[in-house]
Amino acid sequence: MAYKGNRIGPEKFEKGQIKMMVAVLPLVLFMLLPIIFIICHAFKPMDELFACPPEFFVHRPTMDNFTSLMKASRTSNIPISRYVFNSLVITIATVIMSVVFSTMAAFSLSKLKYKGRDMLMQVNQIALMFVPVAVMIPRYMVVTYLHLTDTYWAHILPIVAYPVALFLIKQFVDTVPNALIEAAYMDGATEMKIYTHVILPLIKPAIATGGIMIFQQIWVNMETSNYYVNDESLKNLAFYMNTIANLNNTVAGQGMAAAASLIMFVPQLIVFIVLQNSVMNTMATSGIK
Amino acid sequence: MAEKEVVETKKQKKEKMKKIKPGRLAKREARMGYVFVLPWIIGALAFLIVPLCQSFYYSLNRVVLNPTGMKFVFRGFDNYAQISVQDPTFLTDLANYVVTTVISAPVIVVFALIIAMLLNGKIKCRGLFRLIYFLPVIVVSGPVMSMLTGQGATSISSVDASTIQRFLEGVLPTNIAETIANLFGNMTQTLWYSGVQILIFLSALQKINPSLYEAAKIDGGSSWECFWKITLPTIKPMILLNVVYSIVYMSNNGNNNIISSIQTAMFAGTTKGYGYASAMAWLYSVIETVIVAVFALILMTRKDIYQKQVKKAKKEAKKQAKVLKKVQRREMKHEAKIAKATKA
Repeated sequence: MAYKGNRIGPEKFEKGQIKMMVAVLPLVLFMLLPIIFIICHAFKPMDELFACPPEFFVHRPTMDNFTSLMKASRTSNIPISRYVFNSLVITIATVIMSVVFSTMAAFSLSKLKYKGRDMLMQVNQIALMFVPVAVMIPRYMVVTYLHLTDTYWAHILPIVAYPVALFLIKQFVDTVPNALIEAAYMDGATEMKIYTHVILPLIKPAIATGGIMIFQQIWVNMETSNYYVNDESLKNLAFYMNTIANLNNTVAGQGMAAAASLIMFVPQLIVFIVLQNSVMNTMATSGIK
Repeated sequence: MAEKEVVETKKQKKEKMKKIKPGRLAKREARMGYVFVLPWIIGALAFLIVPLCQSFYYSLNRVVLNPTGMKFVFRGFDNYAQISVQDPTFLTDLANYVVTTVISAPVIVVFALIIAMLLNGKIKCRGLFRLIYFLPVIVVSGPVMSMLTGQGATSISSVDASTIQRFLEGVLPTNIAETIANLFGNMTQTLWYSGVQILIFLSALQKINPSLYEAAKIDGGSSWECFWKITLPTIKPMILLNVVYSIVYMSNNGNNNIISSIQTAMFAGTTKGYGYASAMAWLYSVIETVIVAVFALILMTRKDIYQKQVKKAKKEAKKQAKVLKKVQRREMKHEAKIAKATKA
């Protein structure tokens, strides 16, 4: 099959596709349920939010939840833009650092030979199994020991070494054929060159997947704001959205929480669409067979 | 005798191989390897390994929080023993967790594989479908999921779980039938968890060389055979990855009631406290590791037939050498006896 630009599906609808459509379409509806729910929930008026039995769809959509959220944010000391800025800085820094470190480590653990390599991989696997709640307090001790409390680093560093991402990317690097790397050695490439010119282009789908996962982790992360940061002006957007819904009385807070979850969801959607596109493009062009 | 010599020379060769020191290239590779891993090691050491070790230390102690700091009273494995006394529900929760994980992890992976194969086929709006199948992963993390379960959106109303359960109970023992019926009840939830797995399978499927399928088609292979002989063996490593990922994801996400009980124990005053919660967490992760290890052992890529034959041949040679040695030793003994007898 030749490469036909960005298009991945066939152009025309044919009869042969019907049986596939029959299998795929009903499941698509199920997969769409949570998204529809989030959107509907954000626009529900008060009486529909607390309806019994609960309603799935919205009947009389209003913007009330958003306006009350705006009102609440106007009364707080620190403007909402500050939290947005914090979240942006933290998220971008974490995703970039984490992806760079994970791919480098994955390349080294998968393709270079040295003592203790298998041991390191084992350590990562053990860390993978561990419940994040259990390391919360020891992590706090480390953060205070390194004097990182009330800095951006307190948000960034705990997530940078994310074992799931390393595990995933390493598995993809394993599938890169050794012949390609040997060929690069023959032509006099250093390890750095192999990393940037051979490995990275070939594992772009893994990078995108890992990037999405890390982004999700950090974007909705409230733990670091809760435990490691005392300065209000350094907390992130997820924390702010959560507190604003809980600060006011719980009944009004429900509506605001629904609106806030929609606001938090939109950037995730955008990031995913952008990255997903790059995944599909690289898969069409990747040269290895 | 000739065989013995062969064995000996092999041994010598092996010894020689061991004595050869790594050359400049190998040394450089090792050095670069460490350089590449270093940033990750530092990050992991500070925020994963050290906290892990510390929490293990806590789990062996009674942790008392003072205004001035933490106080530790060493009590060995008493925390672990205490779990069964203080929290009998925790143990039953663990047992339930094991059963559901063992059943639902393969279901998620198989479902993800089927969807990935469908999406890999040629249908209109393929890109859109891919997008939609991945979307729930973004959403279901966090409080939205609990809201949805509260609204009853996770169960398919048309699939009546109780009828299925009644039918299954006729065939299977009750508790197994119950878990399978639960699986049907939480079908949509299972589907929502499989976005990442679908993505991983898709990228693996796209890397399979299409000419392989063409060759198989020319030789008269049906698409059923193609699936078992080409698709499945090629994506086997990804299956392992997906199984591990689903188990870890299911075990460590916030909606898990074991994690919430660990969290409550952490702040539950003097009787439980942080040391006790650490012990619970360690017990939980040990069980999780065991489940993953079992699946990994089942799915480990088996060596191919050629390697198997080589191994077999080596074993045979070793056996023969052993027999030869025995015979020789017996002969030597015999000769010595004869010599003794003649002397006498």
